[in-house]
Amino acid sequence: MHAVVMESLEEYLSGTLKPAAHRDIEAHLSICEPCRQELAGMQEISQLFGAVKTQESIEPAPGFYARVMQEVGGRQAVPAFASFFNLDLAFARRLVFASLLMLAALGSYLVSREAEYPTGPSPDVVMAQQESTLDAAPAHEAMLATMTTYEP
Amino acid sequence: MGSLTGVLPLPGLGSKVAQKTKVDYQNTTEGALVQRAQAGDESAFREIVDRYQNKVFSIIHGIVRQRNDVEDIAQQVFAKVYLSLKSFDFRSSLITWIYKITVNECFDYLRKRKVRKLVYESDMSEDEVRRVENSEPVVDRQAPMDDTLARRDYVVKLLTRVSEEERMLLMMKEVDGFSVEELAQKTGMNENTIKVKLFRARQKLVKAAQRLDRAPGLVTG
Repeated sequence: MHAVVMESLEEYLSGTLKPAAHRDIEAHLSICEPCRQELAGMQEISQLFGAVKTQESIEPAPGFYARVMQEVGGRQAVPAFASFFNLDLAFARRLVFASLLMLAALGSYLVSREAEYPTGPSPDVVMAQQESTLDAAPAHEAMLATMTTYEP
Repeated sequence: MGSLTGVLPLPGLGSKVAQKTKVDYQNTTEGALVQRAQAGDESAFREIVDRYQNKVFSIIHGIVRQRNDVEDIAQQVFAKVYLSLKSFDFRSSLITWIYKITVNECFDYLRKRKVRKLVYESDMSEDEVRRVENSEPVVDRQAPMDDTLARRDYVVKLLTRVSEEERMLLMMKEVDGFSVEELAQKTGMNENTIKVKLFRARQKLVKAAQRLDRAPGLVTG
Protein backbone atom coordinates (compact mmCIF):
# COMPACT_ATOMS: atom_id res chain seq x y z
CA MET A 1 0.00 0.00 0.00
CA HIS A 2 1.30 3.43 -0.89
CA ALA A 3 2.12 6.02 1.78
CA VAL A 4 -0.60 8.43 0.67
CA VAL A 5 -3.24 5.85 1.64
CA MET A 6 -1.40 4.40 4.63
CA GLU A 7 -0.96 7.76 6.31
CA SER A 8 -4.67 8.39 6.46
CA LEU A 9 -5.90 4.79 6.51
CA GLU A 10 -7.44 4.86 9.98
CA GLU A 11 -9.29 8.12 9.42
CA TYR A 12 -10.42 6.89 5.99
CA LEU A 13 -11.82 3.67 7.44
CA SER A 14 -13.62 5.44 10.26
CA GLY A 15 -14.96 8.13 7.94
CA THR A 16 -13.33 10.98 9.81
CA LEU A 17 -10.95 12.09 7.09
CA LYS A 18 -10.84 15.74 6.11
CA PRO A 19 -12.24 16.45 2.62
CA ALA A 20 -8.87 17.50 1.12
CA ALA A 21 -7.10 14.33 2.31
CA HIS A 22 -10.10 12.27 1.18
CA ARG A 23 -9.81 13.72 -2.31
CA ASP A 24 -6.08 12.89 -2.38
CA ILE A 25 -6.76 9.28 -1.50
CA GLU A 26 -9.58 8.92 -4.00
CA ALA A 27 -7.36 10.38 -6.72
CA HIS A 28 -4.65 7.84 -5.88
CA LEU A 29 -7.09 4.94 -5.71
CA SER A 30 -8.41 5.79 -9.17
CA ILE A 31 -5.00 5.03 -10.65
CA CYS A 32 -3.65 2.36 -8.25
CA GLU A 33 -5.35 -1.02 -8.48
CA PRO A 34 -3.26 -2.78 -5.73
CA CYS A 35 -4.11 -0.03 -3.20
CA ARG A 36 -7.77 -0.14 -4.22
CA GLN A 37 -7.95 -3.92 -3.72
CA GLU A 38 -6.13 -3.92 -0.39
CA LEU A 39 -8.21 -1.06 0.94
CA ALA A 40 -11.44 -2.77 -0.15
CA GLY A 41 -10.48 -5.89 1.82
CA MET A 42 -9.69 -3.83 4.92
CA GLN A 43 -12.92 -1.85 4.57
CA GLU A 44 -15.04 -4.99 4.41
CA ILE A 45 -13.45 -6.45 7.52
CA SER A 46 -13.72 -3.10 9.31
CA GLN A 47 -17.47 -3.10 8.68
CA LEU A 48 -17.77 -6.60 10.17
CA PHE A 49 -16.63 -5.28 13.56
CA GLY A 50 -20.07 -3.74 13.96
CA ALA A 51 -21.24 -7.22 14.96
CA VAL A 52 -18.98 -7.14 18.03
CA LYS A 53 -20.53 -3.93 19.36
CA THR A 54 -23.11 -4.48 22.05
CA GLN A 55 -26.51 -2.89 21.57
CA GLU A 56 -27.76 -3.65 25.07
CA SER A 57 -25.94 -2.80 28.26
CA ILE A 58 -25.45 -5.50 30.84
CA GLU A 59 -25.14 -4.31 34.40
CA PRO A 60 -23.46 -6.41 37.06
CA ALA A 61 -25.85 -8.12 39.45
CA PRO A 62 -25.82 -6.88 43.08
CA GLY A 63 -22.95 -8.37 45.07
CA PHE A 64 -20.59 -8.49 42.10
CA TYR A 65 -17.69 -6.99 44.06
CA ALA A 66 -18.14 -9.56 46.85
CA ARG A 67 -18.01 -12.36 44.29
CA VAL A 68 -14.84 -10.89 42.78
CA MET A 69 -13.20 -10.89 46.21
CA GLN A 70 -14.40 -14.46 46.75
CA GLU A 71 -12.70 -15.41 43.47
CA VAL A 72 -9.54 -13.64 44.62
CA GLY A 73 -9.67 -15.55 47.93
CA GLY A 74 -10.09 -18.83 46.06
CA ARG A 75 -7.09 -18.14 43.89
CA GLN A 76 -4.92 -17.11 46.82
CA ALA A 77 -5.87 -20.29 48.72
CA VAL A 78 -4.38 -22.55 46.05
CA PRO A 79 -1.62 -24.56 47.77
CA ALA A 80 1.95 -23.76 46.84
CA PHE A 81 2.65 -27.19 45.36
CA ALA A 82 -0.16 -26.69 42.83
CA SER A 83 1.68 -23.73 41.37
CA PHE A 84 4.43 -26.16 40.39
CA PHE A 85 2.09 -27.52 37.72
CA ASN A 86 1.56 -24.06 36.30
CA LEU A 87 5.04 -24.07 34.84
CA ASP A 88 5.47 -22.14 31.69
CA LEU A 89 6.23 -24.18 28.60
CA ALA A 90 9.86 -23.13 28.20
CA PHE A 91 10.70 -24.02 31.79
CA ALA A 92 8.85 -27.34 31.52
CA ARG A 93 10.87 -28.21 28.41
CA ARG A 94 14.12 -27.41 30.21
CA LEU A 95 13.02 -29.52 33.17
CA VAL A 96 12.22 -32.53 30.96
CA PHE A 97 15.52 -32.15 29.10
CA ALA A 98 17.49 -31.98 32.35
CA SER A 99 15.68 -35.06 33.69
CA LEU A 100 16.45 -37.04 30.53
CA LEU A 101 20.08 -35.97 30.68
CA MET A 102 20.31 -37.10 34.30
CA LEU A 103 18.71 -40.46 33.48
CA ALA A 104 21.17 -40.99 30.62
CA ALA A 105 24.14 -40.16 32.87
CA LEU A 106 22.87 -42.49 35.59
CA GLY A 107 22.28 -45.28 33.06
CA SER A 108 25.76 -45.05 31.56
CA TYR A 109 27.29 -45.02 35.07
CA LEU A 110 25.43 -48.23 36.02
CA VAL A 111 26.45 -49.96 32.76
CA SER A 112 30.10 -49.09 33.32
CA ARG A 113 29.93 -50.41 36.90
CA GLU A 114 28.46 -53.69 35.66
CA ALA A 115 31.36 -54.16 33.22
CA GLU A 116 33.95 -53.63 35.95
CA TYR A 117 32.35 -55.84 38.59
CA PRO A 118 30.45 -58.85 37.18
CA THR A 119 27.37 -59.25 39.29
CA GLY A 120 26.84 -63.00 38.79
CA PRO A 121 28.79 -65.68 40.75
CA SER A 122 31.85 -67.27 39.13
CA PRO A 123 31.50 -70.68 37.34
CA ASP A 124 33.35 -72.45 40.19
CA VAL A 125 30.88 -71.13 42.72
CA VAL A 126 27.97 -72.24 40.53
CA MET A 127 29.34 -75.78 40.21
CA ALA A 128 29.96 -76.00 43.94
CA GLN A 129 26.40 -74.85 44.57
CA GLN A 130 24.99 -77.48 42.16
CA GLU A 131 27.03 -80.24 43.82
CA SER A 132 25.83 -79.27 47.22
CA THR A 133 22.26 -79.25 45.90
CA LEU A 134 22.65 -82.82 44.62
CA ASP A 135 24.03 -83.91 47.99
CA ALA A 136 21.14 -82.32 49.69
CA ALA A 137 18.65 -84.16 47.52
CA PRO A 138 19.17 -87.92 47.89
CA ALA A 139 15.57 -88.65 46.97
CA HIS A 140 16.12 -87.05 43.60
CA GLU A 141 19.26 -89.15 43.05
CA ALA A 142 17.44 -92.34 44.11
CA MET A 143 14.73 -91.59 41.61
CA LEU A 144 17.29 -91.25 38.81
CA ALA A 145 18.95 -94.54 39.84
CA THR A 146 15.60 -96.32 39.83
CA MET A 147 14.81 -95.00 36.39
CA THR A 148 18.18 -96.08 34.90
CA THR A 149 17.91 -99.62 36.35
CA TYR A 150 14.27 -100.03 35.42
CA GLU A 151 13.53 -103.09 33.28
CA PRO A 152 10.02 -103.68 32.12
CA MET B 1 -0.92 -6.00 -3.06
CA GLY B 2 1.07 -6.58 0.08
CA SER B 3 4.36 -6.47 -1.82
CA LEU B 4 4.37 -2.70 -1.98
CA THR B 5 4.53 -2.44 1.76
CA GLY B 6 7.78 -4.33 1.71
CA VAL B 7 9.27 -1.67 -0.56
CA LEU B 8 7.87 1.34 1.26
CA PRO B 9 9.37 2.16 4.63
CA LEU B 10 6.50 1.69 7.09
CA PRO B 11 7.52 4.25 9.68
CA GLY B 12 7.51 6.83 6.90
CA LEU B 13 4.06 7.57 8.20
CA GLY B 14 3.05 10.61 10.05
CA SER B 15 5.27 13.26 8.62
CA LYS B 16 2.25 15.48 9.11
CA VAL B 17 1.44 14.08 12.52
CA ALA B 18 2.54 16.12 15.46
CA GLN B 19 4.25 14.04 18.14
CA LYS B 20 2.44 14.26 21.44
CA THR B 21 4.21 14.41 24.73
CA LYS B 22 4.03 11.16 26.64
CA VAL B 23 1.37 10.96 29.33
CA ASP B 24 2.64 10.45 32.85
CA TYR B 25 0.01 7.98 34.03
CA GLN B 26 1.46 7.81 37.52
CA ASN B 27 0.71 11.47 38.24
CA THR B 28 -2.97 11.47 37.39
CA THR B 29 -5.99 10.95 39.64
CA GLU B 30 -6.29 7.45 38.21
CA GLY B 31 -2.59 6.90 38.93
CA ALA B 32 -3.12 7.91 42.55
CA LEU B 33 -6.05 5.49 42.80
CA VAL B 34 -3.93 2.65 41.42
CA GLN B 35 -1.10 3.44 43.82
CA ARG B 36 -3.50 3.27 46.75
CA ALA B 37 -4.80 -0.10 45.53
CA GLN B 38 -1.23 -1.32 45.03
CA ALA B 39 -0.51 -0.39 48.64
CA GLY B 40 -3.35 -2.69 49.71
CA ASP B 41 -6.19 -0.19 50.08
CA GLU B 42 -9.32 -2.31 49.46
CA SER B 43 -11.56 0.74 49.01
CA ALA B 44 -9.33 1.91 46.15
CA PHE B 45 -9.66 -1.45 44.43
CA ARG B 46 -13.42 -1.32 44.94
CA GLU B 47 -13.45 2.09 43.25
CA ILE B 48 -11.54 0.61 40.30
CA VAL B 49 -14.12 -2.18 39.99
CA ASP B 50 -17.01 0.30 40.23
CA ARG B 51 -15.41 2.57 37.66
CA TYR B 52 -14.69 -0.06 35.01
CA GLN B 53 -17.15 -2.91 35.57
CA ASN B 54 -19.66 -1.64 33.00
CA LYS B 55 -16.95 -1.30 30.38
CA VAL B 56 -15.63 -4.81 31.12
CA PHE B 57 -19.13 -6.29 30.94
CA SER B 58 -19.74 -4.56 27.63
CA ILE B 59 -16.48 -5.84 26.08
CA ILE B 60 -17.17 -9.39 27.25
CA HIS B 61 -20.74 -9.40 26.01
CA GLY B 62 -19.60 -8.10 22.63
CA ILE B 63 -17.14 -10.93 22.16
CA VAL B 64 -18.75 -13.85 23.95
CA ARG B 65 -22.51 -13.12 23.62
CA GLN B 66 -23.23 -15.73 26.28
CA ARG B 67 -25.15 -13.60 28.75
CA ASN B 68 -24.90 -16.25 31.45
CA ASP B 69 -21.12 -16.37 31.26
CA VAL B 70 -20.46 -12.63 31.13
CA GLU B 71 -20.36 -12.19 34.90
CA ASP B 72 -18.17 -15.27 35.42
CA ILE B 73 -15.61 -13.92 32.96
CA ALA B 74 -15.82 -10.44 34.50
CA GLN B 75 -15.07 -11.97 37.91
CA GLN B 76 -12.01 -13.68 36.47
CA VAL B 77 -10.91 -10.40 34.91
CA PHE B 78 -11.12 -8.40 38.13
CA ALA B 79 -9.54 -11.20 40.16
CA LYS B 80 -6.60 -11.09 37.74
CA VAL B 81 -6.50 -7.31 37.98
CA TYR B 82 -6.40 -7.55 41.79
CA LEU B 83 -3.69 -10.21 41.87
CA SER B 84 -1.43 -8.56 39.30
CA LEU B 85 -2.06 -4.92 40.13
CA LYS B 86 1.32 -4.72 41.86
CA SER B 87 3.02 -5.46 38.54
CA PHE B 88 1.15 -2.65 36.75
CA ASP B 89 3.93 -0.26 35.75
CA PHE B 90 2.00 2.78 34.44
CA ARG B 91 3.29 2.34 30.90
CA SER B 92 -0.30 2.66 29.70
CA SER B 93 -3.55 3.87 31.22
CA LEU B 94 -5.29 1.51 33.64
CA ILE B 95 -8.26 1.00 31.30
CA THR B 96 -5.92 -0.08 28.49
CA TRP B 97 -4.39 -2.66 30.81
CA ILE B 98 -7.80 -3.87 32.00
CA TYR B 99 -9.05 -3.88 28.40
CA LYS B 100 -6.18 -6.18 27.40
CA ILE B 101 -6.82 -8.57 30.29
CA THR B 102 -10.54 -8.62 29.41
CA VAL B 103 -10.03 -9.38 25.72
CA ASN B 104 -7.48 -12.11 26.56
CA GLU B 105 -9.84 -13.65 29.09
CA CYS B 106 -12.64 -13.72 26.50
CA PHE B 107 -10.50 -15.47 23.92
CA ASP B 108 -9.27 -17.89 26.57
CA TYR B 109 -12.89 -18.65 27.44
CA LEU B 110 -13.80 -19.21 23.78
CA ARG B 111 -10.79 -21.50 23.30
CA LYS B 112 -11.71 -23.56 26.38
CA ARG B 113 -15.33 -23.75 25.27
CA LYS B 114 -14.22 -25.02 21.87
CA VAL B 115 -12.06 -27.71 23.49
CA ARG B 116 -14.93 -28.73 25.81
CA LYS B 117 -17.26 -28.97 22.82
CA LEU B 118 -14.79 -31.15 20.91
CA VAL B 119 -14.32 -33.47 23.88
CA TYR B 120 -18.07 -33.68 24.39
CA GLU B 121 -18.72 -34.40 20.72
CA SER B 122 -15.98 -37.01 20.51
CA ASP B 123 -18.01 -39.23 22.85
CA MET B 124 -21.08 -39.00 20.63
CA SER B 125 -21.97 -40.75 17.42
CA GLU B 126 -22.29 -38.72 14.23
CA ASP B 127 -26.10 -38.92 14.41
CA GLU B 128 -26.10 -37.64 17.97
CA VAL B 129 -23.79 -34.75 17.08
CA ARG B 130 -26.02 -33.81 14.15
CA ARG B 131 -29.13 -33.93 16.35
CA VAL B 132 -27.52 -31.68 18.99
CA GLU B 133 -26.24 -29.25 16.37
CA ASN B 134 -29.68 -28.99 14.80
CA SER B 135 -31.47 -28.50 18.08
CA GLU B 136 -29.13 -26.09 19.88
CA PRO B 137 -27.29 -23.12 18.44
CA VAL B 138 -23.61 -23.34 19.31
CA VAL B 139 -23.02 -19.67 19.99
CA ASP B 140 -25.86 -18.57 22.16
CA ARG B 141 -28.70 -20.74 23.36
CA GLN B 142 -30.84 -17.74 24.17
CA ALA B 143 -30.54 -15.78 20.95
CA PRO B 144 -31.25 -16.99 17.41
CA MET B 145 -28.21 -17.66 15.24
CA ASP B 146 -28.75 -14.66 13.00
CA ASP B 147 -26.54 -12.82 10.58
CA THR B 148 -25.04 -10.59 13.27
CA LEU B 149 -23.94 -13.61 15.29
CA ALA B 150 -22.44 -15.22 12.19
CA ARG B 151 -20.49 -12.03 11.51
CA ARG B 152 -19.43 -11.85 15.16
CA ASP B 153 -18.16 -15.44 15.02
CA TYR B 154 -16.29 -14.64 11.84
CA VAL B 155 -14.61 -11.55 13.34
CA VAL B 156 -13.67 -13.49 16.49
CA LYS B 157 -12.18 -16.23 14.30
CA LEU B 158 -10.14 -13.64 12.40
CA LEU B 159 -8.99 -12.01 15.63
CA THR B 160 -7.43 -15.27 16.80
CA ARG B 161 -4.90 -14.85 13.95
CA VAL B 162 -3.37 -11.64 15.32
CA SER B 163 -1.31 -10.94 18.42
CA GLU B 164 -2.84 -9.95 21.78
CA GLU B 165 -1.71 -6.37 21.34
CA GLU B 166 -3.04 -6.12 17.78
CA ARG B 167 -6.34 -7.62 18.94
CA MET B 168 -6.66 -5.05 21.69
CA LEU B 169 -5.84 -2.14 19.38
CA LEU B 170 -8.30 -3.33 16.74
CA MET B 171 -11.04 -3.73 19.33
CA MET B 172 -10.40 -0.30 20.82
CA LYS B 173 -10.35 1.29 17.38
CA GLU B 174 -13.19 -0.57 15.69
CA VAL B 175 -15.53 -1.41 18.55
CA ASP B 176 -15.00 1.51 20.93
CA GLY B 177 -14.30 3.98 18.16
CA PHE B 178 -11.19 5.53 19.69
CA SER B 179 -9.20 7.71 17.32
CA VAL B 180 -5.50 7.14 16.71
CA GLU B 181 -4.77 10.13 18.94
CA GLU B 182 -6.88 8.71 21.78
CA LEU B 183 -5.26 5.30 21.37
CA ALA B 184 -1.85 6.94 21.65
CA GLN B 185 -2.92 8.64 24.88
CA LYS B 186 -4.32 5.45 26.36
CA THR B 187 -1.56 3.07 25.36
CA GLY B 188 1.47 5.30 25.82
CA MET B 189 2.63 4.60 22.25
CA ASN B 190 3.09 7.34 19.70
CA GLU B 191 0.59 7.85 16.90
CA ASN B 192 2.87 6.54 14.17
CA THR B 193 3.46 3.33 16.08
CA ILE B 194 -0.28 2.90 16.53
CA LYS B 195 -0.86 3.45 12.81
CA VAL B 196 1.81 0.95 11.80
CA LYS B 197 0.56 -1.66 14.27
CA LEU B 198 -3.03 -1.24 13.11
CA PHE B 199 -1.99 -1.41 9.48
CA ARG B 200 -0.09 -4.66 10.01
CA ALA B 201 -2.97 -6.09 12.02
CA ARG B 202 -5.41 -5.23 9.24
CA GLN B 203 -3.14 -6.87 6.67
CA LYS B 204 -3.12 -10.03 8.79
CA LEU B 205 -6.91 -9.98 9.01
CA VAL B 206 -7.25 -9.70 5.24
CA LYS B 207 -4.83 -12.59 4.75
CA ALA B 208 -6.61 -14.66 7.40
CA ALA B 209 -9.94 -14.00 5.66
CA GLN B 210 -8.45 -15.17 2.37
CA ARG B 211 -7.09 -18.29 4.07
CA LEU B 212 -10.45 -19.04 5.60
CA ASP B 213 -11.60 -19.28 1.99
CA ARG B 214 -14.46 -16.99 2.74
CA ALA B 215 -14.44 -13.56 1.17
CA PRO B 216 -15.56 -10.90 3.65
CA GLY B 217 -18.17 -9.82 1.12
CA LEU B 218 -20.02 -13.05 1.69
CA VAL B 219 -20.51 -12.29 5.33
CA THR B 220 -21.43 -8.65 5.17
CA GLY B 221 -24.93 -7.75 4.28
